[in-house]
Amino acid sequence: MNPVLSIFLRKELRDLRGNPQVLPGYLILPAMAVILPTLMLALMPFDPTAIAAVDPDLVTLFRLASRDPTLAVFPERERMFRLLVREFVAFFLLMPVILASMSAGLAIAAEKQQRTLEPILATPLSDRDLLLAKLLAAAVPAVVVTWAAVLLSVVATAIVTQVRLGTALWPTAAVLVTVGAVAPLGGAAAALLGIRVSVKAADIQAAVQASGLWVIPAGILLIAVVGRPAARSLPIAFLAVAVVGAIAWWLFRINLKKFEREEILTRWV
Amino acid sequence: MPMVSARGLTRVFGTRTAVEAVTFDLEPGQLCALLGPNGAGKTTTVRMLLGLIGPSRGTATVAGIEVPNDPARLAELRGRVGLLTETPGFYDRLSAVDNLVLFGRLYGMTGPLLAGRIAEYLERLGLAERGGDLVATYSKGMKQRLALIRAIFHHPDVIFFDEPTSGLDPESARDVRALIRSLKQAGRTIIVCTHNLAEAAELADVIAVIKRKLLAFGPPATLGRDRTGPRLRLVVTGDGGAAVDLLRRAGFAATVTADAGRGPTTLDLALDDPSATPAVVAALVRGGEGILEVRPLTASLEEIYLAAVGADG
Repeated sequence: MNPVLSIFLRKELRDLRGNPQVLPGYLILPAMAVILPTLMLALMPFDPTAIAAVDPDLVTLFRLASRDPTLAVFPERERMFRLLVREFVAFFLLMPVILASMSAGLAIAAEKQQRTLEPILATPLSDRDLLLAKLLAAAVPAVVVTWAAVLLSVVATAIVTQVRLGTALWPTAAVLVTVGAVAPLGGAAAALLGIRVSVKAADIQAAVQASGLWVIPAGILLIAVVGRPAARSLPIAFLAVAVVGAIAWWLFRINLKKFEREEILTRWV
Repeated sequence: MPMVSARGLTRVFGTRTAVEAVTFDLEPGQLCALLGPNGAGKTTTVRMLLGLIGPSRGTATVAGIEVPNDPARLAELRGRVGLLTETPGFYDRLSAVDNLVLFGRLYGMTGPLLAGRIAEYLERLGLAERGGDLVATYSKGMKQRLALIRAIFHHPDVIFFDEPTSGLDPESARDVRALIRSLKQAGRTIIVCTHNLAEAAELADVIAVIKRKLLAFGPPATLGRDRTGPRLRLVVTGDGGAAVDLLRRAGFAATVTADAGRGPTTLDLALDDPSATPAVVAALVRGGEGILEVRPLTASLEEIYLAAVGADG
């Protein structure tokens, strides 16, 4: 890795560790993504009547699982579990989007607030390296935490399903490609959107708010349009990698093109 | 060849002209004090010279590199200049050493060179014992000294200091002025934006007074003479009237500015040719006047500044 990027990344990671605005998200979201689905799998009744007694809405899910042609080959008692495991992918698609956008929203705005931006911009650091550093600093921790949560979730799911179904449910290849590649690229795209918002923001509050307004809906769109179909089919998963990768690349190019040191320095209250 | 050269540098923000047609040259090793009220365009001028913001009109050359220019040349320029901003910021959750390592790497320094520079300057600025501490624990004065290190430890050719002694106690401020003098002696070209006129008078080879336009530019002595005209101040032991008569007979027109009656008396006289000073002294000595002091009279920097800024409205 470029030594400048490497030192910038280390700086950002150390900065993140003590950042009270971002750190809680890095702890709470992964915990929720691992614990809630695992509890659901552990407590889910097999019988539809019992499911209805727990939550009538879950019966709809049960019906969906029964009708899903991709699940038809599995025993009926397994279908609901397999459907849930597949749908839980949404957690891991949304997680890097939220975490990366939180960090990226502060990327430039925080530098402005702590008055480090002008000294940084006055160094020979290129726009490209600064953007890459900010992108990596926002996306890498988000992706690492997401993958760690995925790993924990996979192990927990296997243990719970082994106990309850007598067979451990492992993620399919499509799910692995989705969380392994689509999720990081989604996180990168979210980080790039967040950086753009941060550049334009007049103050740190506006940066965080605008980041949430822009990025969270975009993340939900990503899951709805790309993530869910990708988790069901390997070819679609690869197509999703290409599409989300292209979006991330395009956002990087746009950011680079629109990155004006002058605008950043002068647009600040 | 000037180390810093501005030609008609102008910057317009919307309908507001922040800097208008600023033209000046600074030679290598010169120290220029950039004076002006708040919002006069000092920071905008510095940012244009650094290539951080583009001029609306005009050009500048800094360390032989023209601005505005292509990004590669601008990166080269930024590697050859140092900047101390008015409110220097740091990554508070990193130590002073880690902050300097980050900026040192951005300036292209690595390994033993970087470590050596950091150790040298922390020692020089009295921060060696606290180098490993988080910047969050630093006082304002310590941060200011750390910011000075950041501005100079890559040995730039041109250094921009914005209020370098702001927030420092008198002893630290004296040390910083000594450091700036040593940088000047080492051949660095320095621009100091300051409101501290005493500091400017002490350090500067050249004074620039800016209030949107460049209102005055030149060595303090020249600007002072320009303001007062060439004048000589004399303090004599005897009666003021007698001294004035003696000088009139010798062909010099003097006026008494302070006469206590029994001496000493202060006289000012217009002197178009400074080489006539010995003749003035000789005339007084021949007349039996005791001379306590003879010195060329120039306006103070405060008078120069206020006159320039006041004249601009």
